Amino acid sequence: MSDPSRDEERELVERAQRDPRQFGALYDRHFQQIYRFVYSRVREQTAAEDVTSEVFMKALKAMPRYQDTGRPFAAWLYQIAVNAIADRYRTMRPTQALDDFHDLSVSGPALDDLAAHRDEVRRIWALVEALPQQQRTALVLKFQEDMKIEDIALAMGKTAGAVKLLIHRGVTKLRDEAASLRPVE
Amino acid sequence: MNSYHDPELDDVLQDDELRRLASMLRSARRPEPPVDDAFRTGLRRQLMHEAWAISEGRDVWWRRLFAPPGLAWAGAVTGLLLIAAVVVWQAGQPAGGLTQVVASSQLDGKNSVPLAQPIYVNFNQPMNHQTTEAAVQITPATNVTFSWDQNTLTVQPAAGNLAPNTQYQVTIGPSATTASGQRLNASQTITFVTQPPATPTAAPTPRPSPTPVLGEKQLGPILGATSLQAQWSPDSSSLYYVDGKGALNLVPAKGGSSQTIAPDGVRSLAIAPAGDRLAYVRGDKIEVLTFATGKTDELAPTPAPLLVGWAGDRLVWATADGVYQQADGRPAQLAPLPTKGTVEVVSIAPDGAHAVYKQDQNLFILDLVTGKSAQLGQSGATFQGWSPDGSQLLYSTADGLVVADAQGVTETTLPASGEAAWSTADAILVGNDTLLYQVHPDGSNGTRVSNGTYHFPIWAPNATSFAFIRGGSVWAATAPQLPPIPAAIDQASAVVTAFMDARLKSDSNLATSMLDDSGKRAYGAGGLALIVNGDPRFSRYYVLTQEMVSTQPDTARFVVRLVLTHGKIDVESYEETLTLVRDSSTRSFLIDGATAGTHRTLGKGAEVVNVVVAADSVKVTFDSDLDPGTVADGVVILDSKGNPLNVTTTYSNKTVTLSGLDLKEGSSYRLVVLTTVRDVLGHDVAAEYDLDIAGPSTKKHDNHRVVVTTPSPSPSPSASPTSQS
Repeated sequence: MSDPSRDEERELVERAQRDPRQFGALYDRHFQQIYRFVYSRVREQTAAEDVTSEVFMKALKAMPRYQDTGRPFAAWLYQIAVNAIADRYRTMRPTQALDDFHDLSVSGPALDDLAAHRDEVRRIWALVEALPQQQRTALVLKFQEDMKIEDIALAMGKTAGAVKLLIHRGVTKLRDEAASLRPVE
Repeated sequence: MNSYHDPELDDVLQDDELRRLASMLRSARRPEPPVDDAFRTGLRRQLMHEAWAISEGRDVWWRRLFAPPGLAWAGAVTGLLLIAAVVVWQAGQPAGGLTQVVASSQLDGKNSVPLAQPIYVNFNQPMNHQTTEAAVQITPATNVTFSWDQNTLTVQPAAGNLAPNTQYQVTIGPSATTASGQRLNASQTITFVTQPPATPTAAPTPRPSPTPVLGEKQLGPILGATSLQAQWSPDSSSLYYVDGKGALNLVPAKGGSSQTIAPDGVRSLAIAPAGDRLAYVRGDKIEVLTFATGKTDELAPTPAPLLVGWAGDRLVWATADGVYQQADGRPAQLAPLPTKGTVEVVSIAPDGAHAVYKQDQNLFILDLVTGKSAQLGQSGATFQGWSPDGSQLLYSTADGLVVADAQGVTETTLPASGEAAWSTADAILVGNDTLLYQVHPDGSNGTRVSNGTYHFPIWAPNATSFAFIRGGSVWAATAPQLPPIPAAIDQASAVVTAFMDARLKSDSNLATSMLDDSGKRAYGAGGLALIVNGDPRFSRYYVLTQEMVSTQPDTARFVVRLVLTHGKIDVESYEETLTLVRDSSTRSFLIDGATAGTHRTLGKGAEVVNVVVAADSVKVTFDSDLDPGTVADGVVILDSKGNPLNVTTTYSNKTVTLSGLDLKEGSSYRLVVLTTVRDVLGHDVAAEYDLDIAGPSTKKHDNHRVVVTTPSPSPSPSASPTSQS
């Protein structure tokens, strides 16, 4: 049985391929998730706006070449976003924010005396920030963006097995570094 | 919580600990990042501009097809296709029939269409522009302009935007013909619903600090002082502080040489709320330095002053026996202090309305108007600071840091220990020997800012810089901004949305969980229908107006319009007025009361879809373009006695603006739309529409954000309750 939302998306994509002016509907549908993903990587509003603009502008221009491989259209947008973020940091050092966030939140004495639940969940994401970039991207796409492994593989230009390995390594590293984290109840 | 299960990850997350972490990652959803709506719409515009450029640059198919390189192949292929098409077409058509004309639109059936969106209607063959445009009918009545791009008709509201929260029906009547003169077999209708109007925000979303570097600077020695007696300059550029020798120093926050204002004997200091004067107690006198002139005035009241503060532009000071102010050139006691035990005033509130004093080991807040005291916590409590407006305070106990109101009633207990300060941006900074911590007064967004020693933090007025003591020196630094606290109206709005969504899904258990006892009675037997059944069915809702109506407890009022649909057409609507009250224990809003208005039939004249109330104007948005000549006398505001207010009425883009008003906070008014108001098609408003509104509140609510322009109506109290079940 076909998925109605996928059918709808397919139709939107086909329309936008026939007539670029129909791309607005795809933009409306995917802006928020792409912006959220980009922001989570660059952590700065102006940079997130720059990268998001680049993603959608590239997508619009590349629409005629887009081929439906059965994966969600968003996976293709994430792929453009992953590459755009990588391009940005090839020419620029990552902002200090990521490391600072990690340093402040992870090092030092345990937070038990002050931090309640919110701090704890924030802390684990702070640990994610300290992971190598590929592991970090895989974890964000899987756990924050709720994507399927196959879609992440497409977005990251890797095989599904490689993505699983990145997630395994990432979570294992979190376990090693966060031995003191309490379960979230 | 080790129950995490994701079949995709079964083979890589094989032990409980890994699954537990995966579960935390899944549950630890991040807040949505700040999005600038202007960016979002600007980028869309840019993309559409680019899309137009692409499509205009793209050769039409037939031009490419007949270009010389493709001509030979195209000719052959076209011939074959034409033959095949004719065969297929003839087989599929009734004898003598023509291809059916089909109109379609990507908007058809959509539920949240942007207000600036043109209506595109695509035809499956070339149309006669004149007959097609003449055959277009739009409900609600809307003046439009037409443009064509090949077989696509663009229908654009002449005024610019569509009306919010409105179901539009665009019908192409059977008189439309194709370019070859064929008529439509039957009317074809495109139906869609527009999105709500943009919500005005109380303040721009602060951008997170990309680099939370504190930029600490050592300002000067404290020479044995055991606490930080200091005041920031009004522009946050420099700090006045008293060192251990009693000298009052002025030092730039960015560092540099200090200036001595008074060489010794200073024990208390306070800058006037207007920022023009600094008062300090020196010896047995109060000295007042006026910044503009550099002149220092002296006041030598008896008994001797021990502590100084301000109530507006008046000096207030504490002595051993009471709190005083200057009246008619002489000291006048505002409130006496207890005579038993060891009593000492610790602080005077920034608004001069309260003071905190210590009696032996107990801490009290003293109301300087009534002279009444209330104890703060148990024995051993320590005063920490005031909220910037003086309406709340902080004190510490063995349990943590307590946020209390000016009556001494606990509002929140924060699990933090150390000295604290409350910023103008509602961030509480807590410092001690090992760390600096930041948190909102409601306990949200607790964040460790830094590790290290940060004693006696004092925020600057800009809520970014702060001073503190480390070692034997006073320091200045900057702290990253906390995300803003959702305004009380936003918190209440989230509850209304969840409540109405649950009702839309017929989830009575979930909807009931958002009602308090009084709310349950409103939706109980004989009352309103919690779950709306039947045909027409409850298909959607929107908030017509919302406002905070009072504080202590926070109370909000929402008017929600419920839309009933038959088939896919909206046919009826009615309004419920919901009263939400913040629960004292959980601090969340619950629905405490509900009333319903009468049912109105849709599609019979213009409807009000949004009302925004400000003190000086009321904006009423309709779903239709109106006949401007009927507006001035048809939309009026009455005071509580039923007398019409003098207003200036203007009309533009479906919105009537009544200006020149002076609505008093909390007073009752009624907005009336008379049946003489007509839309552009000549339909009168089907029935008089009344909406009770209150003068907009400018009060601060518990999170210190001001709601200034939220609308405040409710349906007419004469409307009868609705029961549908």
